[in-house]
Amino acid sequence: MLTFDQLPFDVVAGLLHWLGVCGALLVVILITTTAISLATMGLTGPLFVLQQLVAGATDFAKTSPRRVGALTVLAIREAFRKKTLYVFYVFLALFLFAGWFLPNSNEDPELRIREHVSFVLRTLSWVMLPVSLLLSCWSLPDDIKARSLHTVVTKPVRRNEIVFGRILGIGAVASLILFLVGGIGYIWIIRQLPPAAREMLTARVPIWVAPDPPDAKDEWSQRRFRFIGRDGKPEATGINTGDEYMFRSYIEGNSQARAIYRFERLTSRIPADTQEIELESAFQVFRIHKGNIERGIMCQFTLVNEAKKLRASLKPFEVREFRGNRIKIPRQLKDEDDKDVDLLRDLIADGTLEVHAQCITPGQYLGMARPDLFLRTPDRPFFVSYTKGVAGIWMMMVMLTVMGVMASCFAKGPVATLFTAAMWGFGRMAHNFMGELTGKIELAPGTTWQGGGPFESIWRIIAHITPSVPLEDSFGTRVVQFIDGGIIKLIAAVQYIIPDFRIFNLAEYVANGFDVPFDVALLRGLATTLGYAVPWIVVGYFSLKLRELEAK
Amino acid sequence: MNTEVVIQTRNLTKIYRDFWGRKKVRALNSLTLDVRKGEVFGLLGPNGSGKTTSIKLMLGLLFPSEGEVSILGNPAGDVNTNERIGYLPEESYLYRFLNAEETLDFYGRLFNMPANVRRDRAKQLIERVGLQAARKRQLREYSKGMTRRIGLAQALINDPDLILLDEPTSGLDPIGSRDMKDLIVKLKEEGKTVLMCSHLLADVQDVCDRIAILDGGELKVFGRVDELLKEQDVTQIRASRLSEQAIKDVEAVLTKHGAKFEIDHPTTSLEDLFIKTVRESAARPGQRYVPPGTTPQPSKSN
Ligand SMILES: Nc1ncnc2c1ncn2[C@@H]1O[C@H](COP(=O)(O)OP(=O)(O)OP(=O)(O)O)[C@@H](O)[C@H]1O
Ligand SMILES: [Mg+2]
Repeated sequence: MLTFDQLPFDVVAGLLHWLGVCGALLVVILITTTAISLATMGLTGPLFVLQQLVAGATDFAKTSPRRVGALTVLAIREAFRKKTLYVFYVFLALFLFAGWFLPNSNEDPELRIREHVSFVLRTLSWVMLPVSLLLSCWSLPDDIKARSLHTVVTKPVRRNEIVFGRILGIGAVASLILFLVGGIGYIWIIRQLPPAAREMLTARVPIWVAPDPPDAKDEWSQRRFRFIGRDGKPEATGINTGDEYMFRSYIEGNSQARAIYRFERLTSRIPADTQEIELESAFQVFRIHKGNIERGIMCQFTLVNEAKKLRASLKPFEVREFRGNRIKIPRQLKDEDDKDVDLLRDLIADGTLEVHAQCITPGQYLGMARPDLFLRTPDRPFFVSYTKGVAGIWMMMVMLTVMGVMASCFAKGPVATLFTAAMWGFGRMAHNFMGELTGKIELAPGTTWQGGGPFESIWRIIAHITPSVPLEDSFGTRVVQFIDGGIIKLIAAVQYIIPDFRIFNLAEYVANGFDVPFDVALLRGLATTLGYAVPWIVVGYFSLKLRELEAK
Repeated sequence: MNTEVVIQTRNLTKIYRDFWGRKKVRALNSLTLDVRKGEVFGLLGPNGSGKTTSIKLMLGLLFPSEGEVSILGNPAGDVNTNERIGYLPEESYLYRFLNAEETLDFYGRLFNMPANVRRDRAKQLIERVGLQAARKRQLREYSKGMTRRIGLAQALINDPDLILLDEPTSGLDPIGSRDMKDLIVKLKEEGKTVLMCSHLLADVQDVCDRIAILDGGELKVFGRVDELLKEQDVTQIRASRLSEQAIKDVEAVLTKHGAKFEIDHPTTSLEDLFIKTVRESAARPGQRYVPPGTTPQPSKSN
């Protein structure tokens, strides 16, 4: 099951945000370059900066597809003929043998699928990392070192065409490799899985509860996923059973406590002639006493249409832990007064369906999060979700290629490789921390980072003050918090410069048998890739243009 | 003689710096010269005198520390200018993983010319530089001279108006150098401008209209070859199979007229000039050496 919320990507907001960040960056760069040019070249400096900008715009406007094509073919030939691709074979061998070490103990087919699929997708991204780094970070520096680039730039070639040619050529080679390795991985999964698991391979297409609108934070009834406490009072979350990271919260059995899921915009997504809808849930069980060990914890759903004051309860069911339950809702239901109600025409008449989930076993708890309950529309073949998972890796590879080529425009091979690999590592690992530190990510609902920035933290360690206790308002505190504020602002800026490489990892969907949602995952990945590629190409272009191509 | 200026440098100076921006070498100091349309211009000088540096500055591969350079009326490195330039680097800096045909096709595609013209020209050039037999072999397998030849073909792929050749004959066999010389003459006949560096002074003397001699990054000699080599206060008598007695008679006549003279076998005179220039420049560094004949001022002669 998924352990994160599904936030659809908003293209317009994303574009505006991107324009804002790029604009700010541009202003900063323009101010610094103008200042530097004034200091080093005097009054002709700003003129020089302006000339370069105009020349850059001209170069991009006059890019010739023919020359880019020739340079692309060159990069492809280089990759194949210089035998850089040996790394591919090494990793391929690793990939083939590593399968032997996959734990085989588990007979649960779902677990086997999860292991196999995530192993293959992880290996794929680990193969593509060195392939794209090796191809992209070394090609231009080698070319400069061998001075073969001299012969090229004395032809009528624009520097951006060189950058484009590298990116396209290397991208093509790396795509081919990914295609091959991805194909092998697919065959490997199919052949390696036991027949029982093979039949279960699928890509479920869920309708999840959408995230809450940002202004619904305080308005309980506007939330699409909300709780009612044991005493019947509205709550934002359920009970925390002791998890520090509270993704799921719990409801108590045999009380008024319930979780409310509101599915919206269903009309277009459920055909009018549907005879039954499937609800799939993956609730967690938290036992506070042994109870009847033979029987599971019972749960009941009630379908509600608030506007029409309709409530129809479904049959209680036993929660299958770690597996999830699939409940079929028939078209014809009975409401509380035993009157007939039609699922589509009455309950979902306005495209909205509320599902109230209750635990009915006394004294036990059920844990739920937003993605734990969803409506299922017809499945897609596993091949589809697998391909989309590979597409995520492909986007990561494109990012690495563009970044590697950019870095190689101003640095030598080893430095460019180190730089790109470091950005990749940071991009995967540091975003959580940076998000928490800058207050963008909540540690738990309603709780952000406590204890301040680095200097405040050091002070708290020395003075033995726990993070939750506010510091006394003294001059020293204000100085420390001022400095920390600056550092945190810097980190907030760095968040935009280092791409969040986690979004390209779509393995969790595929391994858990979900189709990869286009708007949540693929569109976000594509937009991120493009959003970074454009400024990186510009940086690469200017680095290549403003440097002497003399190997030192 | 056409007076249209094709390459013009003004106080062109290049200081190589290291990573930290510290000065390493002053490779070129205040070079001012111009190359005119339709001439063959020779850039001479001992090793490390700044010839290659000058060419790279003209092409925009290096940025001048001071001064400026314009080429075909545009600043160095201009994309439109490059359409009309051919450049043979000092060593043929080509892609070693391509074969001869692919190399020419690749460089040809970088120019704005129709595909059939590109193919025809590539074929002609491969024949012209004598590489038909090796045209399918990767350049990594080429010998030095073969690489030189494909480098030359690459420089001519766009039928350039201005050709810069950095030591075109290095590594070539005698026939190859001979062909190169013929080629340069032919290019000149076609009205192209050629700027070349070379250490083969006999060749330079044969083909160049004007020369510049650099030493230690400074321009020492600059002018027309025939004028530079004409020593006005020296009269040369050439004779063949002169007997001992005849030589004595000539000596007697010359002594009678009070002339200073010496009799030996002639040497290549550009070589003389070159060696003299370099020696002179070592003795009086920094000063421009003015060879005899270019100014009325007499100077030491043999
Ligand atoms: N990339 C560089 N970095 C530092 N110094 C350099 C570099 N290239 C050339 N030089 C120095 O500049 C000076 C001139 O070199 P240049 O290559 O122009 O000489 P050249 O006249 O072409 O010599 P040759 O006849 O040997 O080809 C030399 O002292 C050389 O060491
Ligand atoms: Mg040289």
